Amino acid sequence: MDTQSIETSGRFDPANGAVTSVVTSDATRDVTRSPMSPTTELRPAHGKSSRRLSRDEADALGRELDAIRAEVLADLGERDVAHIRAVMKAAGAASIAGRTLLHFGIDPVTFVLGTSALGLAKILENMEIGHNVMHGQYDWTGDPALRGDTYEWDIVCPGDDWRSSHNYEHHTFTNILGKDRDIGYQFLRVADEQPWELRHLAQPVTALALAVFFEWGVGMHDLRVAETTRGEQSLAELGRRSGPFLAKAGWQIAKDYVVFPLLAGPNAPRVLAGNVLANVARNLWTFSVIFCGHFPEGVRVYSEEETKDESRGEWYVRQINGSANLEGSRWMHLMTGHLSHQIEHHLFPDLPAARYPEIAPRVREICERYGQVYATGSLPTQLADVAKRIVRLSWPRRAKRAPSAAVA
Amino acid sequence: MLSTIERRLSATLRDARRTAARRFFVDRQTGLWRSELAWLGVRSRDHARVTAVLEETPDTRTLVLEPPRGWVPHRPGQWTRVEIELAGVRTSRCYSLSSAPHDPELRITVKRVANGRVSGRLHTLRVGDALRISPAEGQFVLPTHPVRLLLLSGGSGITPMRSMWRALLQSDAADVVIVHHARTRADVIFAAELEALATRRGFRVVVRLDDEHARPGEGGFDVGALRTAVPDLEEREVFVCGPPAMMRRVEAMGLPRLHVERFAAMPRPAADPDATEVLVTLGGHASPGGRTIAARTDGALLDQLEAAGERPASGCRMGLCRTCSCLKRSGTVRHAISGAISDAPDEIIQLCVSVPCTDVELGPIVQHAVHAAPDERASERTLDPREKLARRSAQKVDPR
Ligand SMILES: Cc1cc2nc3c(=O)[nH]c(=O)nc-3n(C[C@H](O)[C@H](O)[C@H](O)COP(=O)(O)OP(=O)(O)OC[C@H]3O[C@@H](n4cnc5c(N)ncnc54)[C@H](O)[C@@H]3O)c2cc1C
Ligand code: FES
Repeated sequence: MDTQSIETSGRFDPANGAVTSVVTSDATRDVTRSPMSPTTELRPAHGKSSRRLSRDEADALGRELDAIRAEVLADLGERDVAHIRAVMKAAGAASIAGRTLLHFGIDPVTFVLGTSALGLAKILENMEIGHNVMHGQYDWTGDPALRGDTYEWDIVCPGDDWRSSHNYEHHTFTNILGKDRDIGYQFLRVADEQPWELRHLAQPVTALALAVFFEWGVGMHDLRVAETTRGEQSLAELGRRSGPFLAKAGWQIAKDYVVFPLLAGPNAPRVLAGNVLANVARNLWTFSVIFCGHFPEGVRVYSEEETKDESRGEWYVRQINGSANLEGSRWMHLMTGHLSHQIEHHLFPDLPAARYPEIAPRVREICERYGQVYATGSLPTQLADVAKRIVRLSWPRRAKRAPSAAVA
Repeated sequence: MLSTIERRLSATLRDARRTAARRFFVDRQTGLWRSELAWLGVRSRDHARVTAVLEETPDTRTLVLEPPRGWVPHRPGQWTRVEIELAGVRTSRCYSLSSAPHDPELRITVKRVANGRVSGRLHTLRVGDALRISPAEGQFVLPTHPVRLLLLSGGSGITPMRSMWRALLQSDAADVVIVHHARTRADVIFAAELEALATRRGFRVVVRLDDEHARPGEGGFDVGALRTAVPDLEEREVFVCGPPAMMRRVEAMGLPRLHVERFAAMPRPAADPDATEVLVTLGGHASPGGRTIAARTDGALLDQLEAAGERPASGCRMGLCRTCSCLKRSGTVRHAISGAISDAPDEIIQLCVSVPCTDVELGPIVQHAVHAAPDERASERTLDPREKLARRSAQKVDPR
């Protein structure tokens, strides 16, 4: 049995860790690792950079994280179920309230209230409910309503596509250039290591467009349109991949842009406008949260080569260095689906997200002890950081401000 | 002919309505509100409601239930899987229905087991509470044609018998002997009913109490006493349900027409010092790519999967109910009770009684839930693409 093919998912299990981590001896690894190519050098993060850990150190760090994970798993119970159900009910109620206000109101006040409520419902549903439930965070409850592998969320991206492109690829190959298709969503240059192309000149505009139409970007992500135009994927495969997406998109369009507006009769334009705005608001919000999670300064990307025979501990280290947190209030965390704790989420994607704030101080302490940068900042700072980076990287050479220019 | 078309059509329409409902009112909201409404007293397809709680003995209670909407009447002797939530985790156990099919309400009669998780919780239920129950199942059922019967029970094993004798009261050609064992007089479940039954034509009732009848040191059931009490034993269709020791002795009698129902889980296979470690691969896992866990060759797959954090559906946990059935793609497993070996590919096995002998590859595992609502089942069809991915990625070398 090939030991390396044992666990091929983003799910970890201490029992497996023992099996999967027997890979190669350190001697072999050092050969494959060195000489370090310039692209794999650590970039300074806000003046600091993570210390390079030996495999033993990384594995020790991994064991400490495993202990936190085991502790949370043992403590799962009533409170977690009560939390997610309360959020589900709140989202359901907000959606009903929003649609009712849009349908029956005639004044601008109810329009604004209705649109906000609907937007709020969609944000809660996509982030705290959909994203987290689909990660299987509540599978342990055995409740079919909280089952991750069949949940279908309120967005044009089909749940199954998301489960394969996000849960598996992105969470397993986080920030590995060439393997994590979430890096800049394949058309933005968000890391110095990505080669510059002419089209990147337009990326400040394309990024804004992506923000506005984010759900469509996410939905079409797994169709691999770019790969098809480059000839890496057959048209037949593109067609096969398009089927579920078109079906899902059809339902979403029918719901928000046809049926609900028509049901409102003379109020149709108002309902249509409200639904469009709610979807766009959700798109802007999710775009911001997700881009702040992986692309602010200080978050690094990895080369395929350097992660080739990574141990479980080193996998943890990559997750820490490939993610950034957001600081904010309890409500802010909820609205981001606790992706504001992107680091904790990437370490423990299948623990109920509402637990991340509780374990965050301990994770941070571990990171500090092992000299790993725990990137964090407020939403405006991080967003500004991401924006600056997108603008800066739209040019072939780096701006003078980037002191760490390893590659020119 | 016309009716089949009609039925197909209405099924298609129902599916379409459900899909539309799910798409328009976010996916799981319907399931969520169904449970909420059940607690508010709205009848649903999978919730029964407690309408009365009867104290049978100091440690046994009967829950009188309003059946779920669309309940299909059970056959006398069948059981239902009762599901409740314990610390956020849905947990289910089987309970024989102690009411007859024609009774207006459903009944289950629950003995509180020491430290019992589910039986303990069921004893805290009050009138108005809701609980999920599955459609009735089980092969331990009364024959449809009239026969001479012996209903032999011990302790809480009397529950399916009540369903049977109440059904028999409907027919006038009954020839039934009821032999029941209990520890003391106070522990006789349905005592008043048994007393009344003894006066009916065609019924004979024998109640044996351990503290009054059993020879000292012998405790409980005694084959000789049974033969004396029921001389025409061999000519009767025998239904037996009781403590494991009693069941073993009855089974050893070699009766020609014996039907057994077991309540207590099988004793776990003892840890075997020679046991080795094997790998169990789960297909169609929530995390694409599947999952592989290390298992030992001296324990049932169900227990080991649970220990690894999986939640396979289960009911009786002793090879009876088939809730835990699962496709075994490859590998060899041993039946924990019969010792039978399954080594052919693509065989259906029961996880609760299958002990792995080699590396085993399983198909998709049905998750724990009383019964998935129809809309959930429909969406399970979408598992397919991920299964493909699972196979694809299984060939790749994992970076970790
Ligand atoms: C087909 C079928 C029909 C059943 N019908 C009935 C019924 O009508 N009435 C009824 O009361 N029970 C019935 N049972 C038993 C019931 O399903 C549970 O096993 C029982 O209520 C204990 O569950 P628990 O969660 O309370 O105990 P658990 O928390 O699962 O177990 C706690 C402890 O009790 C032991 N234990 C488990 N079951 C028993 C038992 N039956 N007797 C003694 N010790 C036990 C366990 O080994 C454990 O040590 C039936 C079981 C089956 C398979
Ligand atoms: S759980 Fe009943 S057959 Fe396995």
